[in-house]
Amino acid sequence: MAEEINKKIKTFEQQQWIKENLSYKKDSGSWAWIYHRISGIALIGYLFLHVYSLSPLSQGKAAFQHKMELYSTPFFMVLEWILFIVVLFHSLNGIRIVLVDWADGAKYHKQLYRFSWIIGIILFFAMGFIMFSHEILRVFGK
Amino acid sequence: MQIQVRILRYNPEKDSKPFYQDFTLPDVSPDWRLLDVLHEIKWKYDGTLTFRRSCAHGICGSDGMKVNGKNRLACSILLKDLNMNNPILIEPLPAMPIIKDLVVDMTGFFQKYEVVKPYLITKTPPPSDHERLQSNEDAEKLFESAKCILCGCCTSSCPSTWTNENYIGPAALLKAYRFVFDTRDEGADERLDIIDNPDGIWRCHTIFNCIETCPKEINITWHLSQLKKRISTREM
Repeated sequence: MAEEINKKIKTFEQQQWIKENLSYKKDSGSWAWIYHRISGIALIGYLFLHVYSLSPLSQGKAAFQHKMELYSTPFFMVLEWILFIVVLFHSLNGIRIVLVDWADGAKYHKQLYRFSWIIGIILFFAMGFIMFSHEILRVFGK
Repeated sequence: MQIQVRILRYNPEKDSKPFYQDFTLPDVSPDWRLLDVLHEIKWKYDGTLTFRRSCAHGICGSDGMKVNGKNRLACSILLKDLNMNNPILIEPLPAMPIIKDLVVDMTGFFQKYEVVKPYLITKTPPPSDHERLQSNEDAEKLFESAKCILCGCCTSSCPSTWTNENYIGPAALLKAYRFVFDTRDEGADERLDIIDNPDGIWRCHTIFNCIETCPKEINITWHLSQLKKRISTREM
């Protein structure tokens, strides 16, 4: 009986996940999830790029060397540095998710989120220093 | 004090889709609850405004709605805690079919709730001289999960629910925790079998929207993580 009455009620379906994702108020947990998805997709994209960039290996040493020289230009170095923060975020947040699911991380999820950003930014700049130490020393050194 | 309120309206007999209607209330106090604002509108401005409310004290869980982009109970927020420089945006709970104005169809929500068998399952006869007893420590483990008032704020705030209407949702899973970890209950394996599927507990991606929105401040994700651990370790 109740089901028959329910069927007669005209309702408006509001299953619009894009609109909902854009309009719903986000906290650290939702940002972590969104960044994790975006960085995951970016890393899949990079994987294809990586395989493509290694493909000159089949054309001999000289072709590969030529390609590698292109990747050591400053533009690609900066791109690589940006890639590093994507990898960093995805892996640090992955550890955070493991701690949430397997330890009591759900009680400290906001602290864990902040902590992973702090560690990430420190490692990002440390890596920047290692990657560009030659250029940095040339500008600021003797 | 004057405030502006913007409400998503929908009348199934007249409207083909919902629309926003603005109200200006010239004389309200910052100490008012949002529910008082809705009453003011319904009683003085527009009697057709439809919303659910019952106890008006955060116990019955009827007046869950999306306020300024976040699910809350209208009776549990004060105006002074909202940003009143902009119009207060009031919409029905997300992802659930709208019946009229702020009233949503919660049939699916309660069907999912029933799936986890939200009642005590026993297989052994009760002790003859006393009831089924439980230690204080064991009861303590259930206190937080038993505070749930089934307002639907968590399930409708979850991005997993928005994309997958079959996802059982945090409220039902929290209820599963409440019985799985009850020392008097003997149906844990039945419940774990039910929630151990892609539309069950594994659809929880630890987004934490449920915790942010829960009017009873239950750490739902922590309880779900205990269920995940229990399912993963029971085979070992």
